[in-house]
Amino acid sequence: MTQEPHQHHTEPHAPLTTASAAVDGGDTGLSKKGLSAGSVGLIGAIVIGISCVAPAYTLTGALGPTVAEVGTQLPAIFLLGFIPMLLVALGYRELNNAMPDSGTSFTWATRAFGPWVGWMGGWGLIAATVVVLSNLAGIAVEFFYLALAQAFNNPEIAELVGNPLVNVATCLVFIVGATLISYRDMQTTQKVQYWLVGFQLLVMIGFGVAAFWHVANGTAFDPTQVELSWFNPFEVGSFSAVVAGLSVSLFVFWGWDVTLTMNEETKGSRTTPGRAATLTVTIVVAIYLFVAMGSLAFAGTGTEGFGLGNPDIQENAFFYLAGPILGPLAILMSIAVLSSSAASLQSTFVSPARTLLAMGHYGALPKKFATVSPRFFTPGYATIVSAIVAGGFYTVMRFISDEVLWDTIATLGLMICFYYGITAFACVWYFRKLWFKSGRNVFFMLVAPFVGGVILTVLFFTTLIDSMDPAFGSGSEIGGVGLVFVLSVVILLTGVVIMFWQRWKRPAFFRGETLSRAVAED
Amino acid sequence: MVTRIVVGYTANESGADALALGGRLAAASEALLEVVMVLPIEARGAVVPPDTGYERHLKERSRGWLAEASARLGDGVEQSLHIRYAESFAEGLVAAAHEFDASLIVVGAARGGLLGRSRIGSVANDLLHSSDVPVALAPAGSRETPVSLGVTRITGAVGTRSGAGSVLDISVRLARLTHAPLRLVSLVSIDLPAGMDEELASLASTAHADDVLTEARRALPAGTTATSVVASGDTIEQAVAALEWHAGEVVLVGSSRLATPSRLFLGSTASKMLRELPVPMIVVPRATS
Repeated sequence: MTQEPHQHHTEPHAPLTTASAAVDGGDTGLSKKGLSAGSVGLIGAIVIGISCVAPAYTLTGALGPTVAEVGTQLPAIFLLGFIPMLLVALGYRELNNAMPDSGTSFTWATRAFGPWVGWMGGWGLIAATVVVLSNLAGIAVEFFYLALAQAFNNPEIAELVGNPLVNVATCLVFIVGATLISYRDMQTTQKVQYWLVGFQLLVMIGFGVAAFWHVANGTAFDPTQVELSWFNPFEVGSFSAVVAGLSVSLFVFWGWDVTLTMNEETKGSRTTPGRAATLTVTIVVAIYLFVAMGSLAFAGTGTEGFGLGNPDIQENAFFYLAGPILGPLAILMSIAVLSSSAASLQSTFVSPARTLLAMGHYGALPKKFATVSPRFFTPGYATIVSAIVAGGFYTVMRFISDEVLWDTIATLGLMICFYYGITAFACVWYFRKLWFKSGRNVFFMLVAPFVGGVILTVLFFTTLIDSMDPAFGSGSEIGGVGLVFVLSVVILLTGVVIMFWQRWKRPAFFRGETLSRAVAED
Repeated sequence: MVTRIVVGYTANESGADALALGGRLAAASEALLEVVMVLPIEARGAVVPPDTGYERHLKERSRGWLAEASARLGDGVEQSLHIRYAESFAEGLVAAAHEFDASLIVVGAARGGLLGRSRIGSVANDLLHSSDVPVALAPAGSRETPVSLGVTRITGAVGTRSGAGSVLDISVRLARLTHAPLRLVSLVSIDLPAGMDEELASLASTAHADDVLTEARRALPAGTTATSVVASGDTIEQAVAALEWHAGEVVLVGSSRLATPSRLFLGSTASKMLRELPVPMIVVPRATS
């Protein structure tokens, strides 16, 4: 943490000098490993980056909803969606270097704009991750039963997914499993994770190749000619459609920023994080474009059968396309998506838990949230609370929406716009005295985060207004208002209510006594 | 020569047990206590991105925990506090023992947390697999025994198997350092298939245990006195239960002959003893000379 508010540690009886000297002596001898965060190499950083982005999982969730908005201009929207994410991530890196803190957006926004905005920034981050946790677990459930159906050659098993009770029960089991793993901090060893990521990429490439092979052989469902216009966002026709597509596509790059901020002391040299981030995003974008084009060429955007325009298959594209494209090897896709979801579930669990921990630590939430498990060194209480909320959210959603996965992704897009936007402006404002110290600062502390923040703000409000239309996205609605709008507003207003409640219970934070406003100076 | 004792500390009951036992051994033998917290190396996995902010928070929190622990231990014991990073708790403790040239590692034996399966916690278990330094296992509740009680007796469990030699040496040394009387014990279990002549078998194994003890006493350095006792029962557990134990006693056992990197070096007799023992046990690895 950047600040240590009111920590009353009992003074040790033991020779305090020796004691604290020894504690501080962590940088000598054996504990060269003390600089542990730095020991990630280039490949390690790329593997972590790809695990966090989880391309197999994000694509299966995002392909359909994006095609529903922008049709064949899918590749263009994926490319365009990267721009705001990159711009904000650059600002994110500046903040992370200046104030490394487990509270990230919450802490930074509080420092820049004070407790109220900071609190809502933290809330946005927590909401986004809780929403995505439920989506991840939901996708994992579908592929779990699909894999079983494929393994036993019994398509009836895959139909269990449609049974809400079975579906919710399985999903809760997955969430409990992921919580245990996170709570105990059981990490896959690097070697295993290298293989899993490699496998995931290979299956995606194989999927794309097989799709084009079907097109060439005339066995594709709806062979569609690849055109340059796929890369032209102006061909979409409507601004609203582009915006809606973008706010979904933000999600496919979400998590990539960790490679940028992983650490300044990454093993080797100072350039490693930059190279890791560049390589990660190159790999991910190449895979996205290739698979997106393969899927479009194979299935077209028709509204029947396997057409990507068919609402019945849109919320989980690979679930339906893997069979016709990969034939007997379709089970590999199920395994790839499952392993990708599992890794993502684990890395995603960490962020709400750490933000809740920071909020507890600075007194923006009850102190309990700041509890660290003495045995596993994880934010235990916060992890469990996140899991309960994610499980509850999924259960409620499963019963009020027919298109849970789609609606959660659309809601997620809005939440990302919200808290990334706040973070971007926090960067601009926090560094306001340093803007013109160098040309580098002009770009990284002012232009990039400001433009990124403005784009996200426009996306946020346009999507929010459009989503009031009951026909928006999946077409789920409550009382004639689009479900995504209702969800987003309920989530944000809940945040406001809890914030006022905390203001009443814990005024110190809101008076700026635990985490004060500040501005970066030389 | 100052002996050093490494305590593997965690801020829970198991850690409090370890700290209390370590403190008691250190106070009795005038050793230096090195209280070590081992934090995980964040970048050991490839899924969760490392986070400098969280790592800093963890270090700060651990510092607080160590200070609280130190305050609880009091002034009677000379101590220093350390934070180390390692892949696992066991690995970090063994490395710390080498760093400080410690002659003993103390950990809590009780399992903690969720999903514990064996009676020995996974940390103690890992340590027993990997340590080349004697390991003291503080049973649950050790934290209730006051440091001022000291060590009231050292009991060396001797057998004919290899490893017994070092048990004897270290028991003698520890008894001398702690000014505690030494007791040598040979455990006999008479667990026979039905139909055998139980009297005869019992007689034979007791006689064998007597021989072992006589042999051990003969190997004692000049000037060392020790009592000895043969404990017998239908099972090892019963034999252990039949012995009388002091509250401030410590038992030493040797590691198994079968100790290999993939196997627990706690032999079957020793692990049965551990299940029954009301007092702390120190496992002495085979290679220790």
